[in-house]
Amino acid sequence: MDILVQVVISGILFGGIYALVSIGLTLIMGVMDIVNFAHGEYLMVALYTTYFLNQLWNVDPYVAAIAVIPLFFLFGLLSERVLIRPTLDKPAFVHVFVTLGLSIILQNLALLMFSGNFRSISVPYAQYSYEIFDILINYPRLVIFIVGILVAIGLHFFLHYTWVGKAIRATAQNKNAALLMGINVQKVYAITFAIGVSLVGLGGSLLMPIYSVYPTVGFQFVLVAFVAVVMGGLGSIKGAVIASFLIGLVETLSGFFIDPSVKQALYFTVFIMVLLFRPYGLFGKKTKVA
Amino acid sequence: MKLDKGKIINSWPFVIAILGILAISKIENQYYLGMIFNTLLWVAIAGSWQIVGGYAGEFSLGHAAFFGIGAYTSTLLYIHFSVSPWIGMFIGAAFAGIIGFLLSWTCFRLRGHFFTLATLAFGQVVLIIATSWRSLTSGSEGLLLPIKMGFWQMSFESKHAYVYLVLIYAISVILFTYVMERRRLGYYLIAYRENDEAARSLGVNTFRARLTASTISAFFTAIGGTIYAQYTFFIEPESVLPVTLSIQAPLVSIVGGLGTPFGPLFGAVLILPLSQFLRGIFGSSFNGLHLIIYGLILIVVLLLMPSGLGPVILKGWRKITGAQVKKINASG
Repeated sequence: MDILVQVVISGILFGGIYALVSIGLTLIMGVMDIVNFAHGEYLMVALYTTYFLNQLWNVDPYVAAIAVIPLFFLFGLLSERVLIRPTLDKPAFVHVFVTLGLSIILQNLALLMFSGNFRSISVPYAQYSYEIFDILINYPRLVIFIVGILVAIGLHFFLHYTWVGKAIRATAQNKNAALLMGINVQKVYAITFAIGVSLVGLGGSLLMPIYSVYPTVGFQFVLVAFVAVVMGGLGSIKGAVIASFLIGLVETLSGFFIDPSVKQALYFTVFIMVLLFRPYGLFGKKTKVA
Repeated sequence: MKLDKGKIINSWPFVIAILGILAISKIENQYYLGMIFNTLLWVAIAGSWQIVGGYAGEFSLGHAAFFGIGAYTSTLLYIHFSVSPWIGMFIGAAFAGIIGFLLSWTCFRLRGHFFTLATLAFGQVVLIIATSWRSLTSGSEGLLLPIKMGFWQMSFESKHAYVYLVLIYAISVILFTYVMERRRLGYYLIAYRENDEAARSLGVNTFRARLTASTISAFFTAIGGTIYAQYTFFIEPESVLPVTLSIQAPLVSIVGGLGTPFGPLFGAVLILPLSQFLRGIFGSSFNGLHLIIYGLILIVVLLLMPSGLGPVILKGWRKITGAQVKKINASG
């Protein structure tokens, strides 16, 4: 029984990573109507960045996050300008394959530069745990959980109470109306994409202490994030966060009770079911971005 | 007389094609034969994909599932029940068709991105099932086909036989697409792609048209799986069900020109020899470099020519031949 509680808690905590990845994805999908297939590769790049900051200059991963976030904001702005903006007025398949192309390039760039080896760092606190009622709570996982929740809350306030945030929501609701109200939609798109990418960057830094990095690491995370985004309802940040924690839970539970290899099949099946019966997601209304 | 000359010029592509087919029997280099096999296989896979992906604009990213279902069905029937792959091929294709029908029947209510994501998830589910159902598929260890040569076993000593086999497959797919485009089904699909509401208000049952198309698409894709299994004599989940296959099928169609019967042909001829060539140069020394170049070419083509290279080449070709026709007319 204790083990079960332990598994449940560590699953929910790990959901924080999925939350950080899927918040960005749902924001980009909801506002720009774009599926970013390279989203997982941004996570991979963030992991490598954190890894090398640690290996070369002995920077703590959590400190590295302070550098990674603005760096990834710029990275996001740049890739939006070069790759995404030219696809916006073209048929939908163009952006799908441009982002897939970017993901192929980033994956193989990593393979070429860093080889396919699994790399991980060792930080003293990776194994730290708090003991509450006989349950061990792993310190890095707790950090992931808390940051995930804080980011979601922060983003909620940003979207509702700042001018830029309101502009983003207005653009998501009706691009043309927003344009007529004098909102610079192009700029909104650029900022939205950059926010999404910098959240993934943050996720990468927080994940590094307890995970390994390799060129294709992003793929499994982006698949989970797709599931979370759809389950949560397109553009719903709250939905994506709750779905992320649910997936973290389902994943560890099914890995514990059933074969770990089946867990993916399980939540993909759940995913297709949700799509079919609740196309607007478990928590979604028809509105985008809230 | 004038007409005849024009006809001769317009039939050049066919003359070249026939000469090319005859030339295959003269090629002894195994490397080139392998390249031709691969290219033609991808003409057919991309062609099968675009029956629903190109004409109806339903962007599936799960077609590897059908390819794998074809490969596994015929191979398992062959290994366990000694069913000839020729029969197994059609059983597998029919099975894939049924699965494709069920998948589409449930997922076609999803529009745009959601359909793509659902098919991507479906492809992964099939991959995971094939990997974890070890008693049936022996998991990632893969299945070794019995090496027993003979026509009935669809196993041949020479690569030429496989090249001709896959050639027939590719021609069937192109021919089907060519005919479909000129029949009711093709018009219905294009009508759906361009404007669903308008099509339905004219009484077109676009749902049924898309179901038909995706069933046929899955059917044809699965045939490729069997041919591939017979060619390599070994299948594993990562070789017949990878997500890269699901990505490359639309990719080849897009580069060649979406929604045209010959698009996949252009796409495959442009992409596959190139990627094999790049892999040959950089594969061993700079692991990954060939895929980086591949990705760059993909992005450049998409951003500069989203309708694909096929139409551009065709336009160029017509310009050349058109000019020649005029010259002949002037001199005659």
